[in-house]
Amino acid sequence: MKVLNPENLRVPSEPGVTPCLLGNRCRACATVVFPKMPVCPSCHRNGAMDEVEIGRTGKLYSHTISYFAPKGFTAPSFQAFIDLPEGPRVFSLIGSKYPVERGVLEDGMEMRLIIEPLADTPEHKDELTYKYVPANGMRA
Amino acid sequence: MREVAIIGVGAHPTGRFMDKSLKALAYPAIWGALEDAGVKATDVNVAYVGNSLGGLLTGQEGVRGQVVLQHSGITGIPIVNVENACASAMTALRGAWLEVASGAADVALAVGVEKMNVGDSARTIGALSGVSELDLSELGMQFTTSYAIHPKINLKGRMHDYGWTAADFAKPAVKNSYNGSLNPLAQHRKPLTIEEVVQSRVIVDPLTLLMCSSISDGAAAAVVCSADIAARFSGKVPIRIASCVLQSGVYRLPRDDRPDSATTNAYAAYEKAGIGPEDLDAIELHDAMAPSELMLYERLGLCSAGEGPRLIDEHVTTLDGRLPVNPSGGLCSRGHPVGATGLLQICELVWQMRGEAGKRQIEKRPNVTMAQNQGGLLLGQDSAVYGCTILKS
Repeated sequence: MKVLNPENLRVPSEPGVTPCLLGNRCRACATVVFPKMPVCPSCHRNGAMDEVEIGRTGKLYSHTISYFAPKGFTAPSFQAFIDLPEGPRVFSLIGSKYPVERGVLEDGMEMRLIIEPLADTPEHKDELTYKYVPANGMRA
Repeated sequence: MREVAIIGVGAHPTGRFMDKSLKALAYPAIWGALEDAGVKATDVNVAYVGNSLGGLLTGQEGVRGQVVLQHSGITGIPIVNVENACASAMTALRGAWLEVASGAADVALAVGVEKMNVGDSARTIGALSGVSELDLSELGMQFTTSYAIHPKINLKGRMHDYGWTAADFAKPAVKNSYNGSLNPLAQHRKPLTIEEVVQSRVIVDPLTLLMCSSISDGAAAAVVCSADIAARFSGKVPIRIASCVLQSGVYRLPRDDRPDSATTNAYAAYEKAGIGPEDLDAIELHDAMAPSELMLYERLGLCSAGEGPRLIDEHVTTLDGRLPVNPSGGLCSRGHPVGATGLLQICELVWQMRGEAGKRQIEKRPNVTMAQNQGGLLLGQDSAVYGCTILKS
């Protein structure tokens, strides 16, 4: 297993520590971005970006089901945008334990970050990345 | 800046041409434009060649413009390769326009060409994913997804906010399929019904197959020259480029309240052309997914938020309407060979303005028209490229 884009992601080595995304916060204007970038997109200052842990939780901004997939991915799959409390809105896949069906997710619901292989395919089964899942688990 | 005129256009039909290479697709478009303009190959001072996916899909990673133009007998001159995703051809036109407007050249050629059918649609879809920023596409994000739920479009949000229905999403596809049925260059020439579009296979909820532009091969070209020498070459009415404005996406945080980039792009083009949206007689716009046409009505200033479907219901944007939109059939019907699309839009508008559009000719020949083209997707919630060209006869 290897971590896809390890600069974006903190994968804990000891149990009990939760994983998170690694973004940047601007020292000048407090804008938070993910993935990282060296120049603040809001105030355009160079070299004022500090690494910051973000995205342990979020809110589902929008989601859909894709019924086709490029090579290396499977369909159907959930595709989603997550609003992080720190500011950024990130694209994310949804944890594979959740059945890809209408009604499983609801926009606005609380989500939490997990670490999982990118896809259950020969191309991506050994690449770890972040995904989000409903914070309160599967709905009844 | 000098006034620039389009004096010749040409296009290869759009569709599936397994036996044709990039250069074979481009040749009839290039020579169609040269002959239409009455320009010899040796009259061309400079050329811009737009193409997006040819490196990955054909293996011709570099110098595609030189390869394509040498095949058509144009060599020796400056040739600039342009990659700007689905707006590559509009960007090529801007290059040609700027060469002539600045006085650097008298006659310039813009070409757009794309070869997407390579016998392996998974490979083509993979290549298309590459016009999104890699940070998005490598996580499995689909370009189609961006139309369904991306914050900038969010069709599902539209259903919630304005009560738009699947039938509303289908309306542009139905309208444009009729236009495309009259266009001998179009990829899909069957007129569709709302039911057929809504009931076709779901691709990315709520988009169905017949709401999506499909994999396509094609090419288009335009010859531009300084307006004061246009009569030297062509007997046809020169079509003036009133403005040609290119813009890139901006990084947007979730609560960004700046105007949409398609709006700022269109209004910059209106301002430079000295017109407003109410002055337009016809539009070709970037309906890569049919419902995006409804969003663009708002963003180009044609209606207020949520009112898009009404423009079709009330026959404003139909071929017989006050402001026909996508008379060619648009991206879903005429076809979307991505790196050729911007110039296919220009070809259609020139034919309409000259009264040469055959069965799909707009009855009251348009005098002021706009082509709107966009492409790619960036982190930061914007498309990568926006281009608008306004033409006047």
